[in-house]
Amino acid sequence: MRRKITLIAAAAGLALALTACGSGDDEPTNPTNTEPYRVVVLGGLGAQGVLADNSATSVLAARAGAAYVNDNGGILGRQVTVDVIDDRADPTVAVTKLREYLAQNKPDLVLNSGPSTITNATLPILNEEGILSFNIGATADSSNPAKFPLNFDLTPGASEYLKGYITYLKEQNITRVGILHGSTAYGETFGTVFGTGLPEAGITVTANEVYDVAALDMTPQLETVKASNPEALVLDAYGAPLGYILRNVDKLGWDVPIIGNSSVAATGIISTPEPDGLLGTPLVENLVMEVFKSTKYDPAATGVNEAVRHMTALGEIKATLILAYNYDALLLVKAAAEKAQATDAQSLAAALVDPAVQQAAGTVIIGNYGFTAEAHAPNVTGEEFAFVKPSAIKNGQYS
Amino acid sequence: MTLVWGALALGAIYAIVAVGYNIVYISSKTFNFAQAQLMMVGAFVAYSGLVSWHLPWLVVLLIAGVIVAAIAAIEERLAVRPVRDSHNILVTTLGAAIFLDGAAQLIWGTQPLTVPFVGGNRATTFVGGRVYPVELALIVVAVLLVVGIVVFARWTKYGRALLAIAEDREAAELRGINVRALAFAAFAASGLLAGMVGLFVGPVTFAVSTLGASLALKGFVALAIGGFGSFPGALVGGMVVGLVEIWSARLFGGDYVHLGIFVLLLLVLMLRPAGLFVRARERQV
Repeated sequence: MRRKITLIAAAAGLALALTACGSGDDEPTNPTNTEPYRVVVLGGLGAQGVLADNSATSVLAARAGAAYVNDNGGILGRQVTVDVIDDRADPTVAVTKLREYLAQNKPDLVLNSGPSTITNATLPILNEEGILSFNIGATADSSNPAKFPLNFDLTPGASEYLKGYITYLKEQNITRVGILHGSTAYGETFGTVFGTGLPEAGITVTANEVYDVAALDMTPQLETVKASNPEALVLDAYGAPLGYILRNVDKLGWDVPIIGNSSVAATGIISTPEPDGLLGTPLVENLVMEVFKSTKYDPAATGVNEAVRHMTALGEIKATLILAYNYDALLLVKAAAEKAQATDAQSLAAALVDPAVQQAAGTVIIGNYGFTAEAHAPNVTGEEFAFVKPSAIKNGQYS
Repeated sequence: MTLVWGALALGAIYAIVAVGYNIVYISSKTFNFAQAQLMMVGAFVAYSGLVSWHLPWLVVLLIAGVIVAAIAAIEERLAVRPVRDSHNILVTTLGAAIFLDGAAQLIWGTQPLTVPFVGGNRATTFVGGRVYPVELALIVVAVLLVVGIVVFARWTKYGRALLAIAEDREAAELRGINVRALAFAAFAASGLLAGMVGLFVGPVTFAVSTLGASLALKGFVALAIGGFGSFPGALVGGMVVGLVEIWSARLFGGDYVHLGIFVLLLLVLMLRPAGLFVRARERQV
């Protein structure tokens, strides 16, 4: 009898011990974990054209954000390490290299520098692996928590940028605009969102034309818009097509205010002085561009200036700060970890939609991202934006 | 009329690309898919010569021609001559195109660069339309180029030798024509052309590493419409592509440009399968 009781007690004790040592998969990571907080940045460093510079800035921002966070205690004491995957802005390469990386290591965080084709290809993998991610190249459902609960888009969508335009157009007393947008996925979204959103705000859209981004002459589309007699031209353009459009406007002899979007602001040719670029030429006299307030230098903006210091300490800022969202991503993760007292993806994702966390993060590229449980995308006000004339760029900022 | 000038200037660029394709096709019976990239390099060399080194325009014209001719010659030696099967030359020249795209990006960066034109950089009114001086120059260059090549082909010894090679390579060899040397020279000549034309194309398109990709396909469509091997056909084909592109955008919107060009190509190939200026010939086997 005594032997039976002893056996039962031993079995019960063993069961209790096994339960205590049970799987930690569903439990928050031990906050005193000293393992590095591993961050992977996907970027098209070897891509063609301006994509390479944009990706370089995105990667630099991630490294700078990591440096800032490490200087301030890390992520719950865990030092941040950054590994970079050069996806060459090619979805096939991105998927291959990401899977190769995941076969060896599981990162804590993935930062996707875009474009949206990379997002489309890699988000399902990250979702399957349960990895937290921030994303610059938004897609139609990348910010949908029902589909991708662990992903957060850092780029405001066209509907967010629209808020800035509406504020600006009303300040300028402009009531009739023509829209010209590119044939890319973002350009088409821009055309659709602005085409419906501006009239809802009481601004008439007199024409809404699209151009092929591989075309060399947009005069036909500009003639169509000009014929509709708008007071201003709302423009989506990026890279060489922007130069073609500005030339074509000049060729038509059309003296119209041109209000360019963030893509225009990200194109180097308009901030490069003659003879290499168009800065200082009559072609940009009528041009203003929508940028984040952080993209315009302000000596009083200490947070942004500190971000720039961290970035320039690590390398050259090749594009504008519009591409530096990844700096904010690390700040957001730090604040979320401090709230959740955990660093696992699920806990962080839950904390990131807390307005108090977003406030505490002290993000600088965008002041407050406004993530919600319903939409993991920036929900910003028109106050985040400024409309500036082209000027020389220093350290990613207009002067 | 503004649109017409723009369309003709655009068509002139496509025509010049098609002429480059033709030069290589006639001498080697193959296509150099890096021809548009050679023109891109010419635009970059023009930028460097005029903006960075502040050299006179004529000097830059010669330098650009020589440099790109040298690149084309190297391409012929590395990507064309060692290849036994002519079908594989499409692949190797495509590889050369990708190499040139990457090299241009490494050397000159990723941002578009402005290339000034010696005739001025502001639009002017001409025959009822607004046009840039370089656009008029491009149209003249394209026409003079085709006229010059046709005269060369018909009235010079080397021109007739090239036509003989195009007609029957073996027979030309048996007649004592140094086929290999002439094919190499033609390749280099296509590079010389691409380099010199860069001073006219760059002011319109900017010197940008994605230029080759923008020009390659439409240049090929211009060639197909005009007929492989026909220089007048390349000129007309290029102009037609330019006009269809501009007027499709104006009348139907930017979404219909490629459709318009594709419909045009289909119509031409259905009615004249060998192109507008080439007659299909029977061949006895």
